[in-house]
Amino acid sequence: MRKSTRAFSRRPSWSRVLVAIAAVLLLTFPLISDDAYYQNMIILSLVFAVGASGLNIITGFAGYVSLGQGAFIGLGGYTVGVLATRFESVSPWLWVPVAGLVTAAVAIGLGLVSLRSRGPSFVIITVAFLFLVQVIAVNWVAVTNGTAGLTLPLPSWDSDVINWPFYYALVAILAVQLLMTWWIRRTKLGMGLIAIREDETKAATIGINLPVQKIIGFTASTVFVGMAGGVYGYYLTFIDPRGMFSILISVQIILSLLIGGKATLWGPVLGAFLIEPLNEIANNSLGGGNMRLLLFGGLLVLVVIFLPQGILPTIETLLYRRRTAGKAGLVGARIGSGGSLKSWADRVEPAEREASGRALLEVAGLTKHFGGIKAVDDCSLAVADGSITGLIGPNGSGKTTVFNLIDNTVRPDAGEITFDGERIERLTSWDRAHRGIGRTFQTTRLFGEMTVLENVVAAQRSFSWSQLGRIAVSGREAKAAEELLEFVGMRAYRDQKAHALSYGQQKLVELAQILMLDPKLILLDEPAGGINPVLIERMAEMFKELNSYGKTLLIVEHNMPFVLDLCDPIHVLARGTRMASGTPAQIQADPAVIEAYLGEDFQFEPEGVR
Amino acid sequence: MTQLAQNLLLGLLLGGVYALAAGGLTLIFGVMRVINIAQGAFLIFAAFITYSVWQVLGIDPLLAIVITTPVIFSIGWVTYKGIVAPIRTAPIASTVLLTFGLALVLEAVMGMVWGNNSTAIRPGYGNESFTFAGLYLPKAQVYGGLVAILVLVTLGLMLTKTWLGRAIRAAAANPAGAELVGIKVAAVAALVFALGIAAAGAGGAIVGVLYPFVPGAHYQWIARLLAIVVLGGMGSLNGAILGALMFGVAETLTAAYIAPSWATAVPYAIVFLVLLIRPQGLLGSRLREDAVAA
Repeated sequence: MRKSTRAFSRRPSWSRVLVAIAAVLLLTFPLISDDAYYQNMIILSLVFAVGASGLNIITGFAGYVSLGQGAFIGLGGYTVGVLATRFESVSPWLWVPVAGLVTAAVAIGLGLVSLRSRGPSFVIITVAFLFLVQVIAVNWVAVTNGTAGLTLPLPSWDSDVINWPFYYALVAILAVQLLMTWWIRRTKLGMGLIAIREDETKAATIGINLPVQKIIGFTASTVFVGMAGGVYGYYLTFIDPRGMFSILISVQIILSLLIGGKATLWGPVLGAFLIEPLNEIANNSLGGGNMRLLLFGGLLVLVVIFLPQGILPTIETLLYRRRTAGKAGLVGARIGSGGSLKSWADRVEPAEREASGRALLEVAGLTKHFGGIKAVDDCSLAVADGSITGLIGPNGSGKTTVFNLIDNTVRPDAGEITFDGERIERLTSWDRAHRGIGRTFQTTRLFGEMTVLENVVAAQRSFSWSQLGRIAVSGREAKAAEELLEFVGMRAYRDQKAHALSYGQQKLVELAQILMLDPKLILLDEPAGGINPVLIERMAEMFKELNSYGKTLLIVEHNMPFVLDLCDPIHVLARGTRMASGTPAQIQADPAVIEAYLGEDFQFEPEGVR
Repeated sequence: MTQLAQNLLLGLLLGGVYALAAGGLTLIFGVMRVINIAQGAFLIFAAFITYSVWQVLGIDPLLAIVITTPVIFSIGWVTYKGIVAPIRTAPIASTVLLTFGLALVLEAVMGMVWGNNSTAIRPGYGNESFTFAGLYLPKAQVYGGLVAILVLVTLGLMLTKTWLGRAIRAAAANPAGAELVGIKVAAVAALVFALGIAAAGAGGAIVGVLYPFVPGAHYQWIARLLAIVVLGGMGSLNGAILGALMFGVAETLTAAYIAPSWATAVPYAIVFLVLLIRPQGLLGSRLREDAVAA
């Protein structure tokens, strides 16, 4: 079967040819033409290309919009400017890497302030930041010379090739920036960032340390931008706060990214080389000023409404449609028969089916109120190590909320949660995942824009800095993920986008995803809900097999034959608290449970599930 | 001591004006999850309209609020229907960029209509002051502050005492639920957007009387308003008012005791500090999406 990989790294060959031609043109342009107008235009395009490509990491991958990206160009320019005017005997080139370090340090600081929590405060802080640095540049006269600006030493080389060093330095910085983007997109870090964009709460439950990943992403999105800003400042030879910290620089960077295409490798570069000539036209032919504002503002509004994907992804979608037109999709294909977890056999001692009796998970007095609704009210229950425990109860009895409290998707008002002998109710979701809790959601929460394989390798079973840099889409990580996909029968779908899968298929992939955490405890929220009977049967087999490898399972489910066949013991929840516990037989016989949940006419027929 | 009291009082009056504009911003965010970056541009826009009304009709600029506010309200409503409504359900990132583009367009339009030079509205009492218990209070600031408080109280009463206010709060708390009990959330959203912008408009009319302005001033304004809203807690009206008063006082005190040129910087430093300690802002609750789907 032909692989329809639409992954970032593998592109159709014609586009490689295009990129190669563009690269050759870019590299040879100063040799062919000494037209200063066009050289200047390309130099500025390069600066904006680096800016947009950097912004792509935090905005395109992680989904956090920054309106302050231009400030990092200014910061880089000022770093070089201030140092070059202080130390006149040293070549200003020496300060370009320093500019990168300064911007990185500032980005870490800004990230610590605005990225520890989620949501919109980041974009707001970036606006405030842009003005703050401008105010500082204006007022800190002793260092920046205020509004009078700084004049850098003039370049010392031959005036015939005056632009060459700037030109090629920027080409080099852009190359490194693109290399970094390409690399990040293939690593665990990149998977984590995209996961954050797609569903931040879910990302936390599969072990992704949100603040750390976001702050690294933000820092990575600024470091080369600072260096490009440094070169830009040196190129201009005169910098002042008004020019270097103009909000229009940020606008131009954002426009470049949006028009070219977010989360693509080449989109930001394409965008930058489209927008900068437009900028020149607006300045030279339309009179600049208000017309330039009108053009940029109007373009921004139009792009957001009519071209939200950007040029490259739009073209790719069209090509993909043409290529696959008339062919049957993989989505309707049969699910694989399932594989065995070969490598697991060496790793995990096959445990006895009988539970040891030791509680792996214990919750005590757990309480969560939503306004006046007591969703979970003084609930206590235990899950024995090695067991398959069931959790049943009427709709609204608090089953899912208990899950949410266990994996910290929701914070408890009161109560204790003990996992593997350790109190965890104060830990973050990712810390809990690292300790061995994996959880699937009632309505599956896969990262829709990521492929099946990427969804699985996004999970992080522990935190380490070196792991973040590890390549995820091939090699060891991918191999482990493929084995799990084979186990759940979804390996054939590895390169499909998750949103294209059916509901049942998504449930299987989500299971593989959390198995990537190598969890001790697997929380399953209605695994059999909304899927066909054959798949339900297959699910039951998989759960038994996982259990045979020593995995403990806690299952919320309404399918009674399924629960009664699989689970022992079973806890029954009602009105947010545990009303009964026992073996399947005891639960079925319990008059209170029949009254509250099962109903008078409930009769379990063991033939329902073999 | 008198000096300090005077500065505090002036800071609070200024904070009242900030509260008006920031209240509109937080209202729009609270109900629609839209961060309206064009809020500052609408504020300056209102100042220019006030300027024209004052110039052409000779009406007192602060009284002219009665005319300018409905005009700005209509513009806000049309803006919403025209360009915000089509992407209302898009992620915050999209609406941020959209309203940012809108702000640039507004700036360009203002520059074309009124020019990019500094414009000032100077009513007859522009240079007069009240002297009271040794305090020296410019009349324009006192009137402006009082008008701001009046408009703010009207807005507050409307939100808490009327059916419309309850509908708005219901739509903010639970859009699906509000729809179920017969509230047209789309209509409420248009109304809230227009109302939020009208609040900025009323603030802009007052600001025009207090300071000279240029089209490009909207950047400083949106930065300030966003800082206030983050400080108070996103979406919290009381938080915005508290944040605005603190901001007004901090700016006034910085200008008086540190250096006027740093007055714009110090409040941002405060915001950074607050966020470092309390990411959800002063009166904000943690934005925690609830994973309970059913």
